[in-house]
Amino acid sequence: MTYFIAQILPYITVTVFILGVLYRLWRWTASRIVHNITLSPFPQTKTEVLGIYLREILLFRNVFNFDRPLWVGAWPMHIALLNVIGGHVVGFYFLGKQFVYLGASEALSKNLSNLLGTVFGIILLAGLLYLLYRRVALDKVRQVSNPSDYLMLLLLISIVSVGNFMRLVPEYGMHYEPVKEYFTTLILFQPAAIPEGNPFFIIHLLLAQVLIMILPFSKLMHLFGMFGMRWIENRVYKEPAPGLPNVDVAAARARGAGLPSASSSDVA
Amino acid sequence: MPEYKGWKMPAKATAEEMRQIHIEPVPDDQKVEKAIQYLDEMRKKFRSFVLAMESCVKCGLCAENCHTYLGTGDPNNIPTNRAELIRKIYRRYFTLEGRWFGKLVGAEDLNLDIIEQWYSYFYQCNECRRCGHVCPFGIDTCEVTMIGRQILHWLGIVPKLHASVGAAMERTGNHTGLTKPAIVDTLEFLSEEIKDEFGVDVEFPVDKEGADIMYVPSSADFLLNPYTLMGAGMFFTYIGANWTIPSTITEAGNFGLLFDQQHTMRHNFTRLLHAAQKLGVKKIVWGECGHGWRAWKMYFPGMADLPIRWPITHIHDEVAYYIRTNQLKLDPYKIGRPVTLHDPCNYVRACGLAETMRTVIRACVADFREMYPNKENNFCCGGGSAILFDDPEMYQLRIKFSSKKAEQVRATGVGRDGNGILCAPCSICKAQLYPMVEEHELGVEVKGLIDLVGMALVWK
Ligand code: HEM
Ligand code: SF4
Ligand code: SF4
Ligand code: SF4
Repeated sequence: MTYFIAQILPYITVTVFILGVLYRLWRWTASRIVHNITLSPFPQTKTEVLGIYLREILLFRNVFNFDRPLWVGAWPMHIALLNVIGGHVVGFYFLGKQFVYLGASEALSKNLSNLLGTVFGIILLAGLLYLLYRRVALDKVRQVSNPSDYLMLLLLISIVSVGNFMRLVPEYGMHYEPVKEYFTTLILFQPAAIPEGNPFFIIHLLLAQVLIMILPFSKLMHLFGMFGMRWIENRVYKEPAPGLPNVDVAAARARGAGLPSASSSDVA
Repeated sequence: MPEYKGWKMPAKATAEEMRQIHIEPVPDDQKVEKAIQYLDEMRKKFRSFVLAMESCVKCGLCAENCHTYLGTGDPNNIPTNRAELIRKIYRRYFTLEGRWFGKLVGAEDLNLDIIEQWYSYFYQCNECRRCGHVCPFGIDTCEVTMIGRQILHWLGIVPKLHASVGAAMERTGNHTGLTKPAIVDTLEFLSEEIKDEFGVDVEFPVDKEGADIMYVPSSADFLLNPYTLMGAGMFFTYIGANWTIPSTITEAGNFGLLFDQQHTMRHNFTRLLHAAQKLGVKKIVWGECGHGWRAWKMYFPGMADLPIRWPITHIHDEVAYYIRTNQLKLDPYKIGRPVTLHDPCNYVRACGLAETMRTVIRACVADFREMYPNKENNFCCGGGSAILFDDPEMYQLRIKFSSKKAEQVRATGVGRDGNGILCAPCSICKAQLYPMVEEHELGVEVKGLIDLVGMALVWK
């Protein structure tokens, strides 16, 4: 079983993920933008369009403006999630010494890496729990939820909980080096057995792979969907110039157009 | 048919009425199969629809940003749930997860009841796009409503109101079925009204060949909103324009946008092209109509089947231009009443007219008070997409859909002394708000924006 999860499943996961995402994106691009459905705000330059993308991606501005309680959970959760994903890649690749490049000592860098991992892990968990709470407690959110919406959150919560558990309970902790080695062998297509036989690591690895395989068939595709939708809606639209042909207002007023005596020219 | 299994719905067009708009109603035993086929065609065509189907995270943000949900508390009026009525079918037939996991991911087989539910809830959507404007990803439930209505149309299920307007458009080129003699008569009458009330001579040239400008008013202005048409006439006269109104298309609106974006919508587009060519005009100016302006500004260029040789602008943009360039003399104190502005959704969210309207209204009235939220964050009046049904159940819904608007208007205080003006420069907004300001006892009179321009013009 461990052999399957650690040495075979990863290849299936990556294949399903890539093909799945490509399949979904292909379906999207196969359909067309039929009508001009530009939506407010109406940017006048490409820079402004970029600004809209950035403020929605980086700050979740719409969520902030139109549903503050959601923002309180969703934005920190996403920031933490991105950092955790980034941390997994960077932390394992540099073995926690990434901050040396910013001038820290090796020991400090490792400590910093651990600290950030722990902090973001906890924010992420808190954010997800809050989102789950919202989904259960608020009528309007419960009313729009399908079973899969809860399951998705539960899956994320389990992955993160196991991850945090490994960080916080040293007996079950994982060191950077063996994990890096394991992933290196995976990438070289010579998968080695997982190190240290840590059951929590195996669960973490399994659930994360489940998530990655589900992603292309789930609402997590919103990370691409958002670009697709905004690409259609947030565009520069320019009006034809105003000003009417053969109209000379000054002359018309001088002539007294519309005034009862306008037919005779004595007004002007 | 005011209710079916608890779902409120407007009276449906009869088979005979459907045939008049060239649809042969699909028999019940084939409806499900046909609906799936049409849905398949739609999803292969419209990316906006596919993305709405596939990237919603069910965050619930849109719920309290839709006035229909705020007014009724009906969960099916939450935008994402409105979309879900189609999405669950879409999942079942067109996605792997839906085929494999069914109910777990919210996938469902289509049946006749669900089609009835579509009819109910897609005609409870105002197509106001506030949901799209607020959604973190811009998911536009209006697009889903439009697809839903298109499929229903092809199945032969359209409200009587919309079907009869569709038939009138084809017969006369306008929604109210006005014939040329009626048009000319009404315009002569309006000339007299202007003379009596404002003391100026305004002529409304109809079908004048060689005119420079073709003005396309909303047909509702002939009967329901005469001051809007009078205002336009006074504006064109004031600036000394060589203008005309075409009798073959006296309609700024286009109900095709609202129930049939194919045949019905294109039909009126073609009419306009023919009229402009025949009269030899140089520019086309559009009257006050929210959904209509969206249709003509945004959809027309992609759907016209002849080259478009004329620039088309909105009358508000033209008036604003002459105000900005100081060519109009307007006296904001002539209208000595407090005024607030309802931003028609189609203008602000689909066409970017928010600032234009303010340029105009500030020049025309001294006591102008904004309502909040406003501009592109504004709430719809509850009449959008012409769900102006009179069946008693639907009328009650209209009152609920407008309750958010009533709250906003009340907060401005313009109606406190009973002499306020609620400026709502869109024919459908006007048609909705005339009765609604009474139902909610707002103490305001509903007017268009060009109405105010006409009233504020200084002629000497
Ligand atoms: C680009 C801008 C993005 C925005 C505006 C955004 C917005 C949202 C919102 C509003 C939710 C709903 C929370 C809820 O109530 O469940 C959500 C959920 C989520 N997003 Fe994003 N997201 C973005 C990008 C991303 C990216 C890049 C990722 C992944 C790397 C991601 C991963 C998730 C996850 C895992 C969830 C939780 C799903 C769940 O609730 O079941 N998001 N996002
Ligand atoms: S706001 Fe957008 S993503 Fe959130 S539930 Fe509504 S449609 Fe879905
Ligand atoms: S378009 Fe308007 S009425 Fe329709 S779902 Fe969206 S917010 Fe509600
Ligand atoms: S009727 Fe008026 S407020 Fe309502 S959708 Fe049209 S433009 Fe919007």
